[in-house]
Amino acid sequence: MSREANALGWPAGPVPAGAPLIRLEAIHKWFGNLHVLKGIDLDLASGHVLVVIGTSGSGKSTLLRCIDMLEEPTSGHVWFKGRDITDVRVNLNEVRTHMGIVFQAFNLFPHKTALGNITLALEKVLHMPRDQARERARAELEHVGLGQKALSHPGQLSGGEQQRVAIARALAMRPDLILFDEVTSALDPKLVAEVLAVMQRLASEGTTMVVVTHEMGFAREVGTHLVFMDEGVIVEQGEPKAVFDNPQHEQTRRFLSSVL
Amino acid sequence: MNRIPAPRPIRGFVALREGSRPLGVVSAVVGGLALAVVLGGTTSVLAEYGIRREDRIAAALQSRELFTLLVFGSLLGAGATALGFGTYRRMPTRVSREEAIAGAVLGLQAAIGGLALLWFIQGDMERFARNFLSFEQIVPQYEAFLNGARNTLVLAGAGEFFGVILGLVLSVFTISKRAVVRAPVRVYINLFRGTPLLLQLSLIYFGLALGLGVNMSAYTAAILAFSLNTGAYSAEVFRAGIQSIERGQMEAARGLGLGYMQSMRYVIVPQAVRRVIPPLMNEFVILIKDTSLIAFLGLSYAQRDLFTVGSQGYSQFFNATFYVASGLGYLVVTLPLIRLVTWVEKRLRSGLLGAVA
Repeated sequence: MSREANALGWPAGPVPAGAPLIRLEAIHKWFGNLHVLKGIDLDLASGHVLVVIGTSGSGKSTLLRCIDMLEEPTSGHVWFKGRDITDVRVNLNEVRTHMGIVFQAFNLFPHKTALGNITLALEKVLHMPRDQARERARAELEHVGLGQKALSHPGQLSGGEQQRVAIARALAMRPDLILFDEVTSALDPKLVAEVLAVMQRLASEGTTMVVVTHEMGFAREVGTHLVFMDEGVIVEQGEPKAVFDNPQHEQTRRFLSSVL
Repeated sequence: MNRIPAPRPIRGFVALREGSRPLGVVSAVVGGLALAVVLGGTTSVLAEYGIRREDRIAAALQSRELFTLLVFGSLLGAGATALGFGTYRRMPTRVSREEAIAGAVLGLQAAIGGLALLWFIQGDMERFARNFLSFEQIVPQYEAFLNGARNTLVLAGAGEFFGVILGLVLSVFTISKRAVVRAPVRVYINLFRGTPLLLQLSLIYFGLALGLGVNMSAYTAAILAFSLNTGAYSAEVFRAGIQSIERGQMEAARGLGLGYMQSMRYVIVPQAVRRVIPPLMNEFVILIKDTSLIAFLGLSYAQRDLFTVGSQGYSQFFNATFYVASGLGYLVVTLPLIRLVTWVEKRLRSGLLGAVA
C-alpha cells in the first residue's frame, strides 16, 4: 500500500500556514501512581531552538520522549505538522522518519560501524540505494567532523565521538526537528564542548531543535525559547536571556541560583 | 644508635616450627614428585608391559613394580601433605605459603590416587582387563564406530540446526507484550521442557508413525523430536539474550523510524545472537549426548549412532570394552567443542566479536 493510499497517511507538503510544527496540548503522563507530567501546553515553530531546563525528575526528559511518542502520553494530544499523532491510527514509524532523537547514552548500534549506524535507517526506512545511503552517511559524518572514523565501531570511539555519530545518524534522515535528551550528561567535561559545538552549528543553520539540557551557557546563548520545568509543570518560559537575567518566579530563581 | 639485629636464618627443626621459605619449596617439590610417581609410574609400567593385549595389561596391573611405585608414591604424598598443611600458616612470604599449600594439595591427590589404585589392583585384574580393555576386539569394528559417530553428529547437527531456527522464531513471540501471542508459545515451551526427551521421542515415533500411520523412519522421527525439543530450550536461551540487550537499542531503532520487527531483525537479534552463542553451543554438547536415546526406537544397521554401536557390540560379544570405546568416541567429539565454547566466551568477554559496546 502506498503512503498516499492510506487515508491517514502523512500529508505531503509544508506545514499549513500559521500552524506550529509541534503543539502539545494538555499532556499528562502517569507512571503507575507517579504523576510525571501535569498538563503541558507548548508550541514550537520551525527554525526555533527550544531549550528545556529544570531539576532532575522534573519531567523534562519524559516530555521530550512524548514528542516522538517513545512515551505515550496518558492523556492529551501531540500535534505534529497539523496532525494529532496520539491518534492510534497514525503510523508512528512514518512520523518518526520526520523527527530525530539523540539520547544521553548515545545508543549507537555496537555491532555496526559508524557508517553502518547511519545507513541502516536510510536503506531500510527511506529505501535509499546502498551507494546513495553511504554517500549521504559520509557527508553527515564529515559534517560532524568524523570523516575519518566512518569504519570505526562505536567501541573504538570516545564518548564525544559516539555522540557526534548519533547526531549524524539523526541528521541523515533530514528530519523536520531533532530532539536532544541530555546529550552531554554522560560525557567528560572535555568532550562536552565538541558536542555542544556541533549542536550550536546546527542551530545556526536553522535546524529546529528541542534540547533538554543542564548546560546553562548553551541554553542561554543558543536557545531561542526557554522553558523551565519543575514537578511536571512548566513554571516559566520566554526568551532565554530574559528568563536568566530576570526570572519571574521564586522556583526559577532558586533553580538558577543553584546551577549558575 | 640502636640497630635492629638482622634475623638469624632459620634452619633445621626450628624451621619446621617457625616455617621458612625453603620449606615451602620442599613441600611443593615433594608433593609434585609424589603425583608424578603415582601417575607417571602407572603409565610407564603399562607402557613397559604393552597395552595392545589385555593379558599384558592385567600383568602390568598386578606387577610388583607397580605395587612398589604406588606404595612409595602414596607415602611420599602423605608426607608432602603433612609437611605442607603443617607449616603453611607460618610461612614468611606469600609465595612460600602458596608453595606449601600447592605441595600439600598435590601430595593429597597423589596419596588418594595411589591408595585407590592399590585397592583396585587387589581385585581380579584379568577379568577387568578382559571386560573393559579388550581393545583387540574393538579394532575390527572401527568402521562401525566411525559410522556411529557420523550418525550421532548428523542427528545432533540436524536437530540443533532446525531447533535453533525454531527457537529464534519462538523467542520473538515469548517477548510479545500481548498475552494472546505469548500464551501458546509458553505452553509449547513448557510442554517440551517439562517432559523427558525419551517420552517425546517415543510419542513422535510410535505415536505418529505407528499410531497415526505417518510413514517415517526412526531417524526422521528422531531429528523431528530433537528439533522440537531444542526449539523449546533455545527459545528460552534466545529470550534471555534478547532481554539482555539494553532498552536504549530498541528506542534508538524505533526513533529512526524502523518498525518493531525491523528493529528486532537489524538491531536487537544480531546483538543477542552473539551473546547466546556459548549457551547454544552448550546445548549442542548436551544434544550430542542425548542422541543416544534413539537406541530405544530400534535402528537399522546403517542408522546406528555411537551409543547403539557400543551397546550392540556389548550384546554381541558380552564385553564392556564396547561401552568404553563409545564413551571415548563421545569425548573425541565433545571435548574440542567444550574447549571451543570456553574460547568463544573469552573472545566475547574481551569484546573482540563486537558483542559488547
